[in-house]
Amino acid sequence: MVREFTLPDVGEGLTEAEIVSWLVDSGDAVSEDQPVAEVETDKAVVEVPSPVDGTVREIHAAEGEVVPVGDVIIGFDTDEDDDAGAATTDTTGGADDETVESAVSAVAETDDAPAEHVFASPSARRLARELDIDILTVEGSGPGGRVTDRDVRSHAEGDASTEPEPKPESAVQSATTAVGDEVDELELGGGASTVTEGEADRDRTLAAPATRRLAEEEGVDIDAVSTEQTRDGEAFVAPEQVREHAAGGVEQTAPGAEAETGEAGETPAGGVDLDPLPDAEVQRRETREPYTGVRQTIGEAMEESKYTAPHVTHHDEADVTRLVETRGRLKPEAAERGASLSYMPFVVKAVVAALKQYPILNSQLDEVAGEIRKKHYYNVGIATATDAGLMVPVVKDADRKGMLDIADEMNDLVEKARDRSIAPEEMQGGTFSITNFGAVGGEHATPIINYPETAILGLGEIKEKPRVVDGEVVPRHVLTLSLSIDHRVIDGAEAGQFTNTVKRYLEEPELLLLE
Amino acid sequence: MVVGDISTGTEVLVIGAGPGGYVAAIRAAQLGLDTTLVERDAYGGVCLNRGCIPSKALITGADTAHEAAAAEEMGIHADPAVDMAGLQSWKDGVVDQLTGGVEKLCKANGVNLVEGTAEFASEGTVRVAHGGEGQGSETLEYEHAIIATGSRPIEVPGFAFDGEHVLSSKHALDLDSVPESLVVVGAGYIGMELSTTYAKLGSDVTVVEMLHAALPAYEEDVGRVVRKRAEELGVEFNFGEGASEWEPQGDGVRVTTETEGGETATYDADTVLVAVGRQPVTDTLGLENVGLDPTERGFLDTDDYGETNVDGIYAVGDVAGEPMLAHKASAEGEVVAEVIAEEPAAMDFQSIPNAVFTDPEVGTVGMTEAEAEEAGFDPTVGQMPMHASGRALTLRESEGFVRVVADADTGFLLGAQIVGPEASELIAEVGLAIEMGATLEDVGSTVHTHPTLSEAVMEAVKNAEDAAIHTLNR
Repeated sequence: MVREFTLPDVGEGLTEAEIVSWLVDSGDAVSEDQPVAEVETDKAVVEVPSPVDGTVREIHAAEGEVVPVGDVIIGFDTDEDDDAGAATTDTTGGADDETVESAVSAVAETDDAPAEHVFASPSARRLARELDIDILTVEGSGPGGRVTDRDVRSHAEGDASTEPEPKPESAVQSATTAVGDEVDELELGGGASTVTEGEADRDRTLAAPATRRLAEEEGVDIDAVSTEQTRDGEAFVAPEQVREHAAGGVEQTAPGAEAETGEAGETPAGGVDLDPLPDAEVQRRETREPYTGVRQTIGEAMEESKYTAPHVTHHDEADVTRLVETRGRLKPEAAERGASLSYMPFVVKAVVAALKQYPILNSQLDEVAGEIRKKHYYNVGIATATDAGLMVPVVKDADRKGMLDIADEMNDLVEKARDRSIAPEEMQGGTFSITNFGAVGGEHATPIINYPETAILGLGEIKEKPRVVDGEVVPRHVLTLSLSIDHRVIDGAEAGQFTNTVKRYLEEPELLLLE
Repeated sequence: MVVGDISTGTEVLVIGAGPGGYVAAIRAAQLGLDTTLVERDAYGGVCLNRGCIPSKALITGADTAHEAAAAEEMGIHADPAVDMAGLQSWKDGVVDQLTGGVEKLCKANGVNLVEGTAEFASEGTVRVAHGGEGQGSETLEYEHAIIATGSRPIEVPGFAFDGEHVLSSKHALDLDSVPESLVVVGAGYIGMELSTTYAKLGSDVTVVEMLHAALPAYEEDVGRVVRKRAEELGVEFNFGEGASEWEPQGDGVRVTTETEGGETATYDADTVLVAVGRQPVTDTLGLENVGLDPTERGFLDTDDYGETNVDGIYAVGDVAGEPMLAHKASAEGEVVAEVIAEEPAAMDFQSIPNAVFTDPEVGTVGMTEAEAEEAGFDPTVGQMPMHASGRALTLRESEGFVRVVADADTGFLLGAQIVGPEASELIAEVGLAIEMGATLEDVGSTVHTHPTLSEAVMEAVKNAEDAAIHTLNR
């Protein structure tokens, strides 16, 4: 029979990948797990293993082609005459993540029982419920992977001792935290840089052609040059490091420290051992998770934005009592028309109206051309917490859409982001972003701009608070606003004026009728 | 509220005192909840009064008579006379002892017992109409309600149960004489149990079944063993025929059947027993008054905690869906009581065993090989024929087999199908193994007593590991 093999999700959050090279040709015999292709994601080059024993029938994607996850890339002829193991035969383009992932994990670990089954005693199951743990997530240590009471307990303790998993709604903030953590690490790295001097022994090093030439001239193996710099997660070597290496990196060692020469130390090049504790102790006190996929993409985007654009955050509040009433009146009407109307479409409309008056906030700094590009279209990104991390689906041309269209489109995009069926182009092309950190509670935040946009509006929680109206203290619905701007492009005065305009539309929502 | 109603409040109201309801009530009371149990008929429900228990009593009686009469090869010669009234009165004694026990247990645990028919009046209140004229009614306010009203036999159109010509399973358990001849409509577990029983008591039994096998819900080789033995007992099978009508014929009945192709046949007998399945009792509860909507077949959908889609109303047992089994109802009853008491309980049974008390018995649990494959496992199967069991031979019951299904990669037990003597008891061991996540090696390495039937389970497990001693490994 013919087995069509789809591009698996070879890395978390991957939506597409480039076929770097085919390792087989049509007609070649292949065995299960034999690598058939090299595929480059935006993170790494990985080998794709054959799911079957058989012969290659047809290759569907050319080298150099960028293929969406789930597309058929190769077909095999096999001897099997049934379609058991349908996980790898899914030929539909829209193969869902689970199907595709199961194809990958089936290759990695063939012993796995179906994902919805876990073998555990009733007492272990009950304990898991008591500790509020999904027993499917507990790794079993018993025969065949059976989950014991002890496994459940240590899973619970493991959870408690590591950073709690960010709840989906708090991903906006956790993305911010991640940047903070990164700063710490970089500082530590900087302080300890001299420790890593010595020889590295990598398989692969990124460097500019000029640097490679320099290494050749100096007779230096570029893979042996120690470095802390990375590009796209791979070690990166600069010319001065090659020169230092050639001169014998020993001089760079911190005063008083023993010179580390010759053999490479245990610490891998580019990494700094932050843990003075013995391995076993560290493993007991920490849980390590790979910084890859969506997490890494978020981290890099945050890093680029925060280190490129000088952020200023302007805080204010709007009295949205009338908006609350208006939305309350319109909600049943919207529901009758099949739309779920949140406050967000009002905010989108208010933001678009204000952007028209202050177009500098709907701009992009083109550093290469030395130009500020003011956009006359309004693509509003909506920061969305998902299980995989922060995603920002974009409502395109929001100025040309009605409130309910925006509501529908937004709900649809957010859902797609959450179930990870969203297409990359649905998260690109934004000109301004909104983040609703108030969804998890909170008054103010300092949102990070969705670079290369130049501004982002953060929304706090709408709360009833005592406010003074006409000399009387009365309860009012109050929405806090936190607007971050790229101070290279936008000044504080413009930020304030823009915020005032947004406020006005939110406080008097009927003004939106004029837009 | 009707004038004259007395209104009382309870934390937990359980409707129906069958194996789901009384267990839920006792457990809830044990956990300190103020619990009221409403029953309109008899404590213990169908199971104790018209199902499991009385049928097993009759089966034991039939077996005793039959075995005594058929023991000539052992050198035993007897011609037992069956006094049906005597058998019935012994059976009733057993039933009375058990139902009385249930009532006592409920009281001893502090459950308030109310007799009558319950109907939801509104969210939070139930009206209980007491049986009989002028008995009145009362209104009960509840915080949590557990619906455990069970099921009743399905009637085939044209075959209204009258207890004389057309019998339901309930009637068939109360006969005061053995019919000379009996047509049984339906070869499912109830039809097969009663056919076997009456065949052993001396009736000429004719079974009519629309499908093409005895015990069609089970694997083909399971049903085949049961059918073969029934045929040896004189039961005549007519497959592919549905009962279409009946008419009185002398003192008895003439049952007409029809095939899918429209061919008809008639069977004359003293009486006809209709056993084509059971349906949940959800039509007398006033469910519309609380916004509960049963499924097309009358079941109530529930979540993993037994709760229906109305907050605070739970359903257990037959009303909560297949399989309609007493032990499933009891297990659900316990879970729901614990959920209400905010204990970390949930319906996460890995398997629910199942027994048929035919000759030989059938016991199944968990998945068949095909089901395991469908669930994504790579199943491995081990089998041990009963004729290789020393104990089965000494019991003169060497038909059948033990079959176990396990996951080939990990060795975890996934299921078992047992046909043979005491299959209903043997299945418990595999149920425990599945629930505990035991592997083939775990069960195979457990020393089993010799000479017992349970060795067959161990041997089947070892056969799956290609290490059986008393049968050839496949």
